[in-house]
Amino acid sequence: MIDSILAAGQQLTGLTRFMLMLPLCLSVAVVYKVTRIDDLREAFAAAFVLWITIVIGMIAVGVGLWLLFIIMA
Amino acid sequence: MAHAPETDSRAAAGLPDPASIFRAASAGLLGWLIPGLGHIFIGDKTRGVICLAAIFLTFWTGVAIGGVRGTIDPHERSLWFAAQLCAGTNALAAYAIRQAISPVGGDQKSPTPSPSWVSAEIGVHYTGVAGLLNVLVILDAMSRSERRNRGLRLGERGPPQETAT
Repeated sequence: MIDSILAAGQQLTGLTRFMLMLPLCLSVAVVYKVTRIDDLREAFAAAFVLWITIVIGMIAVGVGLWLLFIIMA
Repeated sequence: MAHAPETDSRAAAGLPDPASIFRAASAGLLGWLIPGLGHIFIGDKTRGVICLAAIFLTFWTGVAIGGVRGTIDPHERSLWFAAQLCAGTNALAAYAIRQAISPVGGDQKSPTPSPSWVSAEIGVHYTGVAGLLNVLVILDAMSRSERRNRGLRLGERGPPQETAT
């Protein structure tokens, strides 16, 4: 089963494609904060804050570009 | 004292000793081979395991989303493949799987269906970001190794070097 998943991939539609941004941003936030902060107990809280910041920032950029597209169209 | 030891003279000149350089280079190489292993090598086990889990999960989630043929493509996506290679054995294993399931010769029909281009793009981004994150982890492992040899903590600088006049 695993080999067929790895070979064929997934068919993604609609909101699923957007939701896949969340784990990628979480991974970036965790690795970045784990490398930057010495105390790992502080790193996880900081990673959570960074994750929320990245997601909100990405949504803001997306909405901004969408509005720009609407205005320019 | 007429002749100071070589290590003392290197330290006085602000140069790291060869053992320190070898240790940092080993941490970097191990970190490339298996993400996080560089940190484990220098004794930072928890940090290494977290990096290992995060990069491993990110990379193989990307392969599972995009499929190995759509994600690992050194011919069509050579720059992304370069980024993926930074994930070390993850990328090499994925490339080996791709070679195993892809027919020899590009014009033969593959037994596995291709995922949509959207899935492939998302998979490429996951795997590429995993590789680039490992570059960050490798540099951090080498930096921590060097700082530990000098007895410094994160963000601290060594004593100012006296310039030769």
